[in-house]
Amino acid sequence: MAETAAAELVTVSVDDRMVQVAPGTLVWDACEKAGVFVPVYCAHKKLEPVAVCRMCLVEVEGVPKLQPACATRVAPNMVIRTATEQVRKFRDGNLEFLLVNHPLDCPVCDRGGECDLQDFTQRYGPGRSRTSITEKVHFDKAIPLSDKIYLDQERCILCWRCVRYYEEITGEREIVLQERGVHTVVDTFERRPLQSQFQGNLPEICPVGALTHAKYRFRARPWDLRRTASVCSHCSFGCNIFVDAREDQVARYASNDNPEVDDSWLCDRGRYSFPEMNRSGRVSTPEARVGGVRQPVSHREAIERACGGLLRVRSEYGPEAMGVIGSARLTNEEAFALQWLARDVIRTKNLDHRLGKLDKLAPEDFALSIAEIEECDAVVVLGEKPEAAAPVLTLRLFKAEQKRRRKVSRVAVDSDPASLAGQLPANGRIGVVVHQQDVAVARKLRAELTTSTRQVQVLSILDQVNERGCQDLGLLPEWLPGYRPAPAGGMGTREMLQAATSGKLRALVLIDPWAELEAEPGFREAVANVDLAVVLAAWPGVATSEADVILPGRTLVEKAGTVTNTEGRVQRIRPGVEPKLAFPPDLRSIVELGRGMGGDFGSQPLAGPVFKRLAESVPAYSGTQGGLRAIWRAGI
Amino acid sequence: MSDLVLTRHQGAPGLTALAGYEQVGGYRSLRRAIEMGPEAIAAEVKASGLRGRGGAAFPTATKWSFLPKDSFPRYLCVNADESEPGCFKDRVLMEEYPHQLLEGVLIAAFALQVNHAFIYIRGEYRSQRELLERAVQEARQAGYGGPNVLGSGWDCELMVHGGAGAYICGEETALLDSLEGRRGQPRLKPPFPAVKGLYGQPTVVNNVETLSNLPFIVAEGGARYAALGTEASPGTRLFCVSGHVERPGTFEVPMGKTTFRDLLEMAGGVWRGRQFKAMQPGGGSMQILGPQHLDLPLDFKAVADAGSSLGAGALVIMDDSTCLVNVAMRLVDFYRHESCGKCVPCREGTYFESELMHRLEAGLATKAELTNLADICANMDGRCFCPLGDTATWFVMSAYRMFPEEFESHCGAGRCPVREPLAVAV
Ligand SMILES: Cc1cc2nc3c(=O)[nH]c(=O)nc-3n(C[C@H](O)[C@H](O)[C@H](O)COP(=O)(O)O)c2cc1C
Ligand code: SF4
Ligand code: SF4
Ligand code: FES
Repeated sequence: MAETAAAELVTVSVDDRMVQVAPGTLVWDACEKAGVFVPVYCAHKKLEPVAVCRMCLVEVEGVPKLQPACATRVAPNMVIRTATEQVRKFRDGNLEFLLVNHPLDCPVCDRGGECDLQDFTQRYGPGRSRTSITEKVHFDKAIPLSDKIYLDQERCILCWRCVRYYEEITGEREIVLQERGVHTVVDTFERRPLQSQFQGNLPEICPVGALTHAKYRFRARPWDLRRTASVCSHCSFGCNIFVDAREDQVARYASNDNPEVDDSWLCDRGRYSFPEMNRSGRVSTPEARVGGVRQPVSHREAIERACGGLLRVRSEYGPEAMGVIGSARLTNEEAFALQWLARDVIRTKNLDHRLGKLDKLAPEDFALSIAEIEECDAVVVLGEKPEAAAPVLTLRLFKAEQKRRRKVSRVAVDSDPASLAGQLPANGRIGVVVHQQDVAVARKLRAELTTSTRQVQVLSILDQVNERGCQDLGLLPEWLPGYRPAPAGGMGTREMLQAATSGKLRALVLIDPWAELEAEPGFREAVANVDLAVVLAAWPGVATSEADVILPGRTLVEKAGTVTNTEGRVQRIRPGVEPKLAFPPDLRSIVELGRGMGGDFGSQPLAGPVFKRLAESVPAYSGTQGGLRAIWRAGI
Repeated sequence: MSDLVLTRHQGAPGLTALAGYEQVGGYRSLRRAIEMGPEAIAAEVKASGLRGRGGAAFPTATKWSFLPKDSFPRYLCVNADESEPGCFKDRVLMEEYPHQLLEGVLIAAFALQVNHAFIYIRGEYRSQRELLERAVQEARQAGYGGPNVLGSGWDCELMVHGGAGAYICGEETALLDSLEGRRGQPRLKPPFPAVKGLYGQPTVVNNVETLSNLPFIVAEGGARYAALGTEASPGTRLFCVSGHVERPGTFEVPMGKTTFRDLLEMAGGVWRGRQFKAMQPGGGSMQILGPQHLDLPLDFKAVADAGSSLGAGALVIMDDSTCLVNVAMRLVDFYRHESCGKCVPCREGTYFESELMHRLEAGLATKAELTNLADICANMDGRCFCPLGDTATWFVMSAYRMFPEEFESHCGAGRCPVREPLAVAV
């Protein structure tokens, strides 16, 4: 969005500080800009103002009554005062009202320590009780609204955020207001369980302890948590999160608003995937076969034995008898190092990170960004796969439809382009959202719909967290980093597995073997059959049970580096928890394997320097480190 | 010619039916209005000085003029939710003069170029609603409503919609939400209904009595209507007089020229030979007035200067046996019950206020609690989302100011010292 030109700005004064803001700005935002804090309960940056809690009332010169900062728009030369006696007195009084029927047992409330009611009562608040009323109005407590969310109606301050969230953000309207006056409650209709895939956002927007996460409540206090900004690892959308860790365990994921990507919302699949990261039984020690028997060894020895074995296989059978399989959960830096290991050190063409073959790729497949969905005059979603793969996409589509009044059509993948053309505006920008598996359909649609007045742009949705990065960086038999064509003849994952079973392939390097790969028929036989299998994994599985060398791996919440989301946005991940055991990060293990075979990586095996090297050899990645998109131009 | 407007046909036979109303010249004003055209009607309404009778006394012509010029469809909503304590004038207008109301609605609808008018009627007014529905049918069959009204090419559908029993649905934006099938709660303003009202379209909301004046204004001219009252308070108005009077009822009187004492006398004076103690001039929401105010004229400014308002035109008389703490307590209970629950100061404030009033009334409260009560009311008044919460404090506070000893004598008395004096001498 273009910055409003200075001439169009209006000047207002907040507690005697002058600020310039765009006309129509909310007083609340003007106060924020002036560095003046105004307490709010019902207001929320992503929701329309309702002005029901009255917590934000401030003085506006010339207006007799106090005005809600959250719903009042600035006027030129407006004089706003937030700290007068009148405002102070009312804040105290309003907090008193809020506490009249609120339980006074913060020590047993899950939200204690991060509750706006507790905080504002500390900060403002009358400081003493003067109520002589002995009986409070009581409501239901600890109501399971689903297997994910609990509701405590006594702690609810009726800010309506949850109700408005369901109206404005998801459109599902699962929580409603019931009864009236002091008996008003929020609840589901007839206590039917919540079904939304986006329930986990509720406790986050609830300012008090009324809505809580089943998977987090009573597990930690905020001061026990260490917060790290990172990226959700559950799909390719790349929603920004905070990893909140207690000691060496992930206690929860919280959203970390990135307006370009997640717009502050997470899906439940991603948000509640964190227990996976805490799963015990990790691969804890390096192992290697010593005299035919696998046994714990030092990390250095494991690397040496792996490198010795790999060099032997190469001299005996040649590099084409060797294969390297990574995963779409590697960071960009790891992927870059791994393709160096395969191509430059081992000198094999057999390199992959996925099971299926990738269709031909074109820069047009990645043209549209997530946020630009809102800017399109019409959006066509091909089939159910894109939203199934990246649920938060659904919220962006809803926003485009509801807030921006864009036309969003969900059509079958095999829809006839000619009939679709008739339903779309003849002029303007059309977005086509497709799962990468069906990208050929999107290309055809694009070709047929594009006219001199109609621009068509495609957003392809992938599945895994860094599938896009692994493609961009050439972890594929067909492409080198930056989609330069690779020399012909390289084997993909399935071909490598067959070759291993048939004896053609004699060594396999498996970095982070994932569940579908391990479930692939013949996988065990393939790994067992090669002369040397080097496996780096966080948890034991089929691959480690058949491996000759095992290197302990890290989970995504233990790694530093970058991942690239489905639209090409390069985002940083940071270690939210330290692995309990002291072993080198995966990036270092990969680089050490190459060095042990005589390779020269040319940089420190640390995320920062490796990214620099990577950006030099893949120009689309230069300058993206601050969370920008890698834009591909023709010539892929 | 009599000086009455709304009740000028009182006593005419069969007025509730179309034929009876036509007998006294009914629907001629509609015909005339259609000939005059929208602008001329608006000009007459402006000349009449008519101000809204729903409580806020907003000039009707000005309200109409707020509709954006070229935005259609527009809607007209008739506020028949009448729920103000002490108020029953709209009920009389609907029960006795339903066609006069419908004619007024149609005139307004034509003037505003509206094709759909909704009458939102209080849920408890069951028989009145049925009566209105019958009248709508009759008017439609006679060609006054429905398609092509009186051959003019203008269509107007009238719809009667019953509320579900919430005082707040009389507030115009809560009315609109309720009409749309939502929870009845006031909307954030701006946008005002004139710009974005029913179904997001420009909408005028007018009270039953306001609109019932239109047939007269069109027939006799706005100037003649205005002249019935004074310059500052033009026209006539229907007052509901109730409470401790001999003959409670509704009385149409010229504005500005009539006093509260006149109204009291029309209602037969204070009952049972008792003395006048206090009155509420505008329904349960308005501030108390005392004996010193009885000779005030029914004039907006005069009453405002005395610290109260004519509100919805309901005069409640209290005799000298009345305990004002008791009256205040019961009114506060009403607001506590009717608070929609949207905003904090009203939802929790009315509860807090009512609990304290119950303690005070029972003689259990301390002096400190009485001070707290006043402070709590100050934290509500002017801070709530809509006037309901603000007005929930007005009677209590004004009564406390006017009769401080009466409130203070309850503190620690263990009983109500007014209704149960200690020394009972009969
Ligand atoms: C709490 C509350 C209750 C109200 N109840 C009524 C009502 O029952 N009838 C009514 O006509 N106006 C009522 N009003 C006033 C309306 O909001 C509105 O001002 C009126 O219908 C406008 O019509 P008028 O301009 O013809 O008076 C109420 C207002 C408030 C704040
Ligand atoms: S449950 Fe939480 S978010 Fe919902 S209304 Fe209550 S306090 Fe607000
Ligand atoms: S003051 Fe607030 S709670 Fe009371 S009726 Fe109005 S909006 Fe509802
Ligand atoms: S934050 Fe403004 S009224 Fe609630």
